[in-house]
Amino acid sequence: MSAVYGVTLKGIEAVKVEVEVEITGGLFSISIVGLPDAAVRESKERVRAALRAMGVSVRGRVAINLAPADLPKEGALLDLPIAIGLAAKTGAMHLTKPSIFMGELALDGRLRPVRGAVPAALLARNMGLNLYIPDANASEVSLVHGIKAFKVPDLASLLGFFRGEKELERVQTSRATRKLPEVDPDFSDIKGQAAAKRALEIAAAGHHNILLIGSPGSGKTMLARALRGILPPLSDEELMEVMLIRSTLGLGGSEGRERPFRPVHHTASTVSICGGGTNLRPGELSMAHRGVLFLDEFTEFRRDLLESLRQPLEDGEIVVSRASGSVTYPAQVLLVAACNPCACGWLGDPVEQCRCSAHDIERYQKKLSGPILDRIDLYVSVPRLTPDELLSLEGKCGESSAVIRKRVCRARKIQLDRWSGEGFRSNAELSEKLLRTSISLSTEARSFLGSVSGAIKLSGRGMSRILKVSRTIADLAGSETISTVHISEALAYRETGFLA
Amino acid sequence: MNNELMAFLLLNACETLDRRVLKVLDLQGITLSEIWNGGKEILENLPVTAHVKTKLMEFAGNGWAETELERCGRAGIKLVPITCKTYPSLLKEVPTAPLLLYIKGQWPPDGRCVSVVGTRRCSSYGIRVAHMLGEELASVGLTPISGGAKGIDGSVHSGALDADGATVAVLGTGVDIVYPGGHEHLFDKISAGAGALISEYPLGTRAAGWRFPKRNRIIAGMSEKLIVVEAPLRSGAMITAKYAMELGREVWSVPGRIGENVSRGSNGLIFDGAYPLIDVETFIGSFSEEQLNLFRNVQRPSKPESITDAQEKILSLLREKGERTVDNIASECKMSAAEVLNSIGLLVAVGNVYPSSPGRWSASLK
Repeated sequence: MSAVYGVTLKGIEAVKVEVEVEITGGLFSISIVGLPDAAVRESKERVRAALRAMGVSVRGRVAINLAPADLPKEGALLDLPIAIGLAAKTGAMHLTKPSIFMGELALDGRLRPVRGAVPAALLARNMGLNLYIPDANASEVSLVHGIKAFKVPDLASLLGFFRGEKELERVQTSRATRKLPEVDPDFSDIKGQAAAKRALEIAAAGHHNILLIGSPGSGKTMLARALRGILPPLSDEELMEVMLIRSTLGLGGSEGRERPFRPVHHTASTVSICGGGTNLRPGELSMAHRGVLFLDEFTEFRRDLLESLRQPLEDGEIVVSRASGSVTYPAQVLLVAACNPCACGWLGDPVEQCRCSAHDIERYQKKLSGPILDRIDLYVSVPRLTPDELLSLEGKCGESSAVIRKRVCRARKIQLDRWSGEGFRSNAELSEKLLRTSISLSTEARSFLGSVSGAIKLSGRGMSRILKVSRTIADLAGSETISTVHISEALAYRETGFLA
Repeated sequence: MNNELMAFLLLNACETLDRRVLKVLDLQGITLSEIWNGGKEILENLPVTAHVKTKLMEFAGNGWAETELERCGRAGIKLVPITCKTYPSLLKEVPTAPLLLYIKGQWPPDGRCVSVVGTRRCSSYGIRVAHMLGEELASVGLTPISGGAKGIDGSVHSGALDADGATVAVLGTGVDIVYPGGHEHLFDKISAGAGALISEYPLGTRAAGWRFPKRNRIIAGMSEKLIVVEAPLRSGAMITAKYAMELGREVWSVPGRIGENVSRGSNGLIFDGAYPLIDVETFIGSFSEEQLNLFRNVQRPSKPESITDAQEKILSLLREKGERTVDNIASECKMSAAEVLNSIGLLVAVGNVYPSSPGRWSASLK
């Protein structure tokens, strides 16, 4: 008889688990060995009930071994392979080809969806095994090409299939639709804020992290949400990465090629953002992989939490180490942060009076410093428009998201073509060395940057930020070399505290 | 050992005695040397309150004055008693002038002094004005005096330092203490340059709320003219202005917008008869000319000047109409946001434009 495999998740990877069953004479009992967690241990009740519903009765002393023995197994997704192992052992069916099974059993034999179908599909593809999955997981698996996967509605159909009495439906591979959903709000819904819109365009084009500073009601959150509408669609490869994480979390089918947008509240715990927990799960950072992580009220976040974001933002992945082992989750995110200019929010407002003392303001602005800010390339102040200004802008709403997205996509393509040889996707990821050597500054631009950097006391890090941002501005303009104009625009997105 | 200086150290350490005590001593026929040498009996009979007396006895008993003198010597801090030639002559006129000044840095300053004060909690416009005043005054050889605090004070000092001029910070702590935190570098530069840090308080005196208003009489007393940049109704700057008016010194005030708390006090001063500071030239012109050291006019470092038409257009719009958002500029100059931003980026870098509040830009003062 061929081997029966299940899977268990380690990070976002599926690990093969071989299910071995031995039945000896004696009083009925089932024991499961191989570091099962509570959900796996309880599966014996579900499996036995489901099998009985199929007319397969199990008698004698049953020992079930989940190999490798030293790997902790978790989740109800091992129900199905255990049931198949038992059914095969009792002779209720015959398995001809080693296959991977996954699914949670209902007592009447129906199959419930499980977490981790996509990682399992990738494993099946790599090992050339057949995959049997619950009906409800079919849509996510359909995006994995080159596998032989079957949709299983219930245990009865599966047994019937192996007895040669029934046919099972193959999972048809499909491609995610190219069409992107409408995003609300559209850029043209936002009145004014030309500076912030332009900065968001640059952020989207070069994958630069961005900080929006402005009084309450200035429209920071609206702008951040509108960013979704100008991000380029996920490529096939990126979509797969996103699906992998969604599947690991049991979030099911995707929303097409739209990039994830994860707003995080400032009361969130470190584990919920970075990932972890007793059963290791990816956090918000990984759920925002290839998309946007939005931290509203940035200054309200706990210091240690912001510090823990630093490394992932640097490396594009997060390593969660626990006593039970360490796993790596992808975390390539575009960080969008928003905050008020002071504790009461009205500093510098044309209408409202700020009530903060000098000390309050200093303490607040100290919060806005520190290493995490080194990872932010674009600083934008968002003015709260007065009613007069809003009225004067009536009818002038600027370009729609679709138009801007076209430019962003073009700029991303230029970057991908230019840097793919070096292993980078976007200008924001560029290494120091590459910045110095192959960024193609025009001669005037180089001397201009030299003279300006002296005047404004630009630090080394500040300089590379300017270079990266101006590279993106040049790409948006379709220019091969960076000229003075691009650099001076990049200078406008520097961190210029308006009180310093 | 200079007995008189030791007596001054002792008397000054009580923090409550000022110039007036000298008069009393004089009337009683007690000399300063006697106070230092006379021991217990003389101190017992001093015409001061019992509280001050116990303090004096304590300091005289435990050799505090000798250690203080030695500490000052080691740290290169000068002690200037009121009887000394280099004690600021204008300050001597103040009835409550301190008996002794601790001075760290170059002393006395070359030029005439102008006090420039304002609130810590100022607008970004106030910061610009203060910085510009510090720079302009220092570049014509005047010495700006301020309180070393955050906000207006600090900008005045750094403006003067930017013009390579002297500036004096009158502190409400010992001259060896840095308060507010974060001004370490500024204080170092002030005392290392042509200026000085001054305090009436013994070394190691920490910040306390009541010492700052008291210290303001020195700021007002040291110069013939006082400029108030931005001051709400209740603020240290207003206290300084009050002292200056009581002393009959000239008070100038920078006009601010009405309806903003930050300029309510300073505008009130103008209403009460202070000179409005309409530009620096007028202020500087108010000194008689021959006393101005116009030759010390320092050349400011040259800026990368190559302003394009678009930048010129934006600059003149900001000069003409004041604070603007990028949206305003884009629609009024008929440019795209990217064009506006690249012009602003350069204008900010060369210092012609500054962010005056979140998302709004203004033309610089010069």
